[in-house]
Amino acid sequence: MANGEIVAGFLAPHPPHLVYGENPPQNEPKSEGGWEPLRWAYERARESLDQLQPDVLLVHSPHWITQVGHHFLGVRHLSGKSVDPIFPNLFRYTFELEVDVELAEACCEKAAQRGLTAMMMRNPKFRVDYGTITTLHMIRPQWDIPIVGISANNSPYYLTTEEGLDEMDTLGKATREAIEATGRRAVLLASNTLCHWHFHEEPDTPEDMSREHPQSYDGYKWDMRMIELLRQGKTAEVFRLLPQFIDEAFAEVKSGAFTWMFAAMGYPELPGELHGYGTVIGTGNAVMEWNLVKAGLAGAAVPPSAAGGRESYAGAMR
Amino acid sequence: MTAVSAFLVPGSPLHLLRPDNPPWRPIVAGFERAARALAMSRPDAVLLYSTQWIAVLDALWQARPRLTGAHVDENWHDLGDMAFDIRVDTDLAEACVNAVKAAGISSKSVDYDQFPIDSGTIVATRLLDPDSRFPLVIAANNLYHDAATTMRMAEIATATARVQNKKVAVVGVGGLSGTVFREPIAIAEDRVAAEKDDSWNRRILRLLEKGETGRLDAEVDDYAREARVDMGFKHLAWIRGAIGGRFFGARVHGYGPAHGAGAAVIEFRL
Ligand SMILES: [Fe+2]
Repeated sequence: MANGEIVAGFLAPHPPHLVYGENPPQNEPKSEGGWEPLRWAYERARESLDQLQPDVLLVHSPHWITQVGHHFLGVRHLSGKSVDPIFPNLFRYTFELEVDVELAEACCEKAAQRGLTAMMMRNPKFRVDYGTITTLHMIRPQWDIPIVGISANNSPYYLTTEEGLDEMDTLGKATREAIEATGRRAVLLASNTLCHWHFHEEPDTPEDMSREHPQSYDGYKWDMRMIELLRQGKTAEVFRLLPQFIDEAFAEVKSGAFTWMFAAMGYPELPGELHGYGTVIGTGNAVMEWNLVKAGLAGAAVPPSAAGGRESYAGAMR
Repeated sequence: MTAVSAFLVPGSPLHLLRPDNPPWRPIVAGFERAARALAMSRPDAVLLYSTQWIAVLDALWQARPRLTGAHVDENWHDLGDMAFDIRVDTDLAEACVNAVKAAGISSKSVDYDQFPIDSGTIVATRLLDPDSRFPLVIAANNLYHDAATTMRMAEIATATARVQNKKVAVVGVGGLSGTVFREPIAIAEDRVAAEKDDSWNRRILRLLEKGETGRLDAEVDDYAREARVDMGFKHLAWIRGAIGGRFFGARVHGYGPAHGAGAAVIEFRL
């Protein structure tokens, strides 16, 4: 199989508050709502994803931290209850997911060929991190599309930000090669918050939106500046500013998902579609989409009757 | 009496999961000696702080009576899973939450099924107390707490135990130097990755052995920075807070590498 392609990338942050606010049956704690504008942003992203009809969702999460190499989920079926260690009061979520192991292995192999330390995670008892699960729930609550989960190697923290993000760039390029070589129609999910200055105490009613606001005005201004550049498609300028943004806004994009995604897409100078922005416990979160199909950079979904190749692939996954 | 025994131990899964690997034997053997010393000290509860249990909002304290399961490390998943069976002294834990809160440090207990227990807590409890004889009070490492806050919390926890008439052992779980091998190695050839780290580790271990707290205080910040010490050595602050700052020396039961990082099992003389 060949001719796979990336059909879209989403900036898809993972505050567990959004799942909590939505009250899906999988989550134990129940809320009165909250963070609606961000949840409505994800509703729009969900609709768009639905139209894209991808074979697979790839997610890079800052809450699966690895010190030795970049790791890929490599067990076909994973399930369990994910409890957020920071917000256990908000997120205790029962999940079941299917991994596209063949693509994960291809990503791992291509990353190794490009000189990265890369490893498969084969332990069936592994606890999938809450960042991966939250992002996946928010973008596709049906859980009916196979996924590839990628760890955040701690290189941007252990080395310098620039050295670390260089590794993420390589990882992104390797990911693209793997997608092309395996013939997948893929969507990338960068599970990152922007400005990460946060409150140090949680309101008694976490969903009391009269208490929600940006923790830092400077951080907010940074977020708006970066989002505006992204909306204009000024990708090169965004990446020129990225290290400064990371430093000054304590941005979670330091962990690499954002760089990984853009590297995989080839850093298109393509206006991103902002589905919405909002703060969660003071941090800045944007749901954004780069739709390569609409931009003419990737093929549209083939109607089901003509999708022989993809159907047989999807069938093999089940 | 502040505490009946005190230990600083590493929380790397490597020593638990591959105890026969020659470079890791000194740590495993050190844990065996520390486990005997812990048992001899007959605590009513163990006050444990693990650098790997990360908190950012409050000071968190584990308050679920019994924690069981099998944990797979995020990085070392290929080495297997780590079963655990931990009992918590919930009365003491809740009292610590209240006392620490009263001292102005925002504090919360956690009592949730499937709450993720960190590798360090599991490794330390498995190797120090293999039969799960002693109930624990487990405190998280809040990233925004400095050494002084960490000391203060441990001090309050010990005082709270005294109010409950309980003898406590103190355990700080964390590593020494933090330079690691970032690619797979032949584990039989593991060593402390940087020579400078190794000499720093040995120097600090000597100060601990001799109980030279003055020089230790003078050097610990440089050590933490230059040798990239795990979480700024806040696990030592926890121990020192619990034992009232001073100690009369220490026995290093084992020193060695953990994939390039420094690790030691240390028993303090109280
Ligand atoms: Fe996060």
